[in-house]
Amino acid sequence: MSNIYKNRKYIILFLLPAFIFLTVYLYYPFFLNIFSSFRSIRTLGTYGKKWNEPWNENYVKLITDPVVRTSLVNTLYMMIATILGQVGIALVLALLVDNISKGTQFFRTVYFFPIVISATALGLLFNLIFLYDKGMLNQFLEFMGKRDLTDWKNESHALATMMLPVVWQYVGFYFVILETGLNNISEELYESAAIDGATRLQRVMYISIPMLRNVICTCLTLGVTGALKVFDLPWTMFPKGMPLKQTFLTGTYMYYQTMEAKNVDYGSTLAILIVVLGVILSRVTRRIFKESEDL
Amino acid sequence: MKMKKFAALILGITMTAVLAGCGVQGAAPAAPAAPAEEPAEETAEETSEPAGGVEITVTTTFAGEDTNAQNYKDSVAAWEAKTGNKVSDTSATSDETFKTRVITDFEVGSEPDVLFFFNGADANDFVNAGKVVSIDDIRAEFPEYASNMNDDLIAASPADGVKYAVPVNGYWEAMFVNTKVLDEAGVAMPGADYTWDQFIADCDKIKAAGYTPIAAALGNIPHYWWEFCIFNQQTPENHLDIPQSATDATGAQWVAGLNDIKDLYEKGFFPDNTLSATDDETFAMFTDDKAAFLLDGSWKVGGIVGACQSDPDDPSTLDADKVAHFDVTYFPSKGNRKTTDLVGGLSMGYYITTKAWEDPDRKAAAVSFVEHMTSDEVVPLFAQHTASALKNAPKVDESKFNPLQVKAMDMMSGVTSLTGAVQDLFNGDCRVSTFDGMPDIVEGNVDAADAVQEGIDVYKETIE
Repeated sequence: MSNIYKNRKYIILFLLPAFIFLTVYLYYPFFLNIFSSFRSIRTLGTYGKKWNEPWNENYVKLITDPVVRTSLVNTLYMMIATILGQVGIALVLALLVDNISKGTQFFRTVYFFPIVISATALGLLFNLIFLYDKGMLNQFLEFMGKRDLTDWKNESHALATMMLPVVWQYVGFYFVILETGLNNISEELYESAAIDGATRLQRVMYISIPMLRNVICTCLTLGVTGALKVFDLPWTMFPKGMPLKQTFLTGTYMYYQTMEAKNVDYGSTLAILIVVLGVILSRVTRRIFKESEDL
Repeated sequence: MKMKKFAALILGITMTAVLAGCGVQGAAPAAPAAPAEEPAEETAEETSEPAGGVEITVTTTFAGEDTNAQNYKDSVAAWEAKTGNKVSDTSATSDETFKTRVITDFEVGSEPDVLFFFNGADANDFVNAGKVVSIDDIRAEFPEYASNMNDDLIAASPADGVKYAVPVNGYWEAMFVNTKVLDEAGVAMPGADYTWDQFIADCDKIKAAGYTPIAAALGNIPHYWWEFCIFNQQTPENHLDIPQSATDATGAQWVAGLNDIKDLYEKGFFPDNTLSATDDETFAMFTDDKAAFLLDGSWKVGGIVGACQSDPDDPSTLDADKVAHFDVTYFPSKGNRKTTDLVGGLSMGYYITTKAWEDPDRKAAAVSFVEHMTSDEVVPLFAQHTASALKNAPKVDESKFNPLQVKAMDMMSGVTSLTGAVQDLFNGDCRVSTFDGMPDIVEGNVDAADAVQEGIDVYKETIE
């Protein structure tokens, strides 16, 4: 082995740029954010004029603020929608496409397509679909004989209306990952199972899904942590938690407090909550969806 | 081994150079600035006609349904053709999000070179931060700057009493009416003596006829109802007072105003989806003959007329029958406010930012742009049926007006007073509890007095 790999100088040299980058753009803002959460700040780019009184004002508010509770519950629903909707539907689609001999590439392209459209554009598109008056869905229901218009963005429907496009957009992403995982399973396993008389369903249940375990675990981890970061599409469709602050997610509420309400220090406190939640959830998901080394 | 060490060293240097290159790339445009500073010293020979080829960023509210959106595009194109400069336009419809965006742009250092914005308390943050240049400072180098304006009509900033924004056109806020809906509901066109009780009775009739009485998105743009319902508890003399508490005289008036909106909501006079709809949606209800009243500003005249054209950009496609269904009248009165007392004035103007001012090329281009947009030729195009601050305002030629503009002129001829909007003095952060909080107020989740007090607390904090 050459000395170049033993000499720590070069290791440090190569690690330094990434370390500096992370320090400047991740760790420094994070620690500054903690500092900001104790200050009274109404203007971005400043440290505020005074400390909060009492110093833990924002953290007390975090516990008592009903909108924080709403946004946490909504984020939890978003995670469930991600697991069942995005990964679940993607798995079913991937298994179906894996069992057809022609048109695989076509379905891959079709299902993956929503990913390449910007979330903001999708938000505007779905706004038109769910529009109260003259929206595509209400027009269709009217055509089918429904007499009253449905407000798909009211309190009763808002969450489902918000989550549907998010789920729809990312199904293709997980579909491609799972489909690639299925392609890596040896054909010989299926052939020998077929010779032994296994039905298609049995082959899926006893070969495909067990062999996909690690890929599914990766998808679920990506999905759960990704649900914490969903922002653009919900904000485009339901700005300011509309209606009645019922559609806030942790990310959108943080943005609202920081950029719209100009409560920058409280926004910092919400950002810390998101980081803490992210760390806890990523550890929990890693533990629950632990990849098997046997595969 | 030496070769590998050498290769590693070269790689390391290359990476460092790439990283450094990123920084150099960002700094590169600053290099030629040094020689360009020379003309700045020649103050006496300063000219607002730049050499051309300069691109300036401009943000205005002349977008979307604004009456002057097309006039703005045309005027910008004319200035570009005249000077050879370019405008990078980031205009957007004026709402709370727009105001927040502009203020945030200033906070993070990405403000435009020229800004058409409110001259009230919404501008306080960037005025206090010294991020815009006063008209006096500009005139020190460009003596002709805004010299065609009547200085008495240029509003001073409430932050420091200095004048920064050169106004273009005035505005008024009033109630647009869809007379087709009124006719079908058997309701007469409201006049100069329209009272709140008559308004409630008319709304009942309109609702009974199957129409929505009021086109408003309370979850999106409650501004106009907020302003007028508070004004209705006051007089033009005390409308611009800011309460010190929700329980003092002015505070109680504000609370009563918000409770009037709650009352209208509980009576079912707003659209079914008023808490989840956007302003565009409720505006479409109004122009589609589904709602009777629309409380909005003079800038909406163009939007309504545009909705009556098969091609919104081509006035020759105007459907004369359709536009005849629209009229404009005064907001119903309650208490001591006369029906004919309206909200209006010259609340916006062109700012030149310090960022542009400190760049010699962009300074001249920005001054030239504002001079063009506030010239005696361009201002009348924008002002139309509203006021302007021109010293020599040309006589209005009504023959060039569309039918709704003519009706607006008739209405304005009967106005007894024009008072500024108090929300312009009660800046953005303070309005959050009663603007964004309006759905909770009308639903009864939050008491109007608590919401007003929360806004006052923020106000006190901002003026500390």
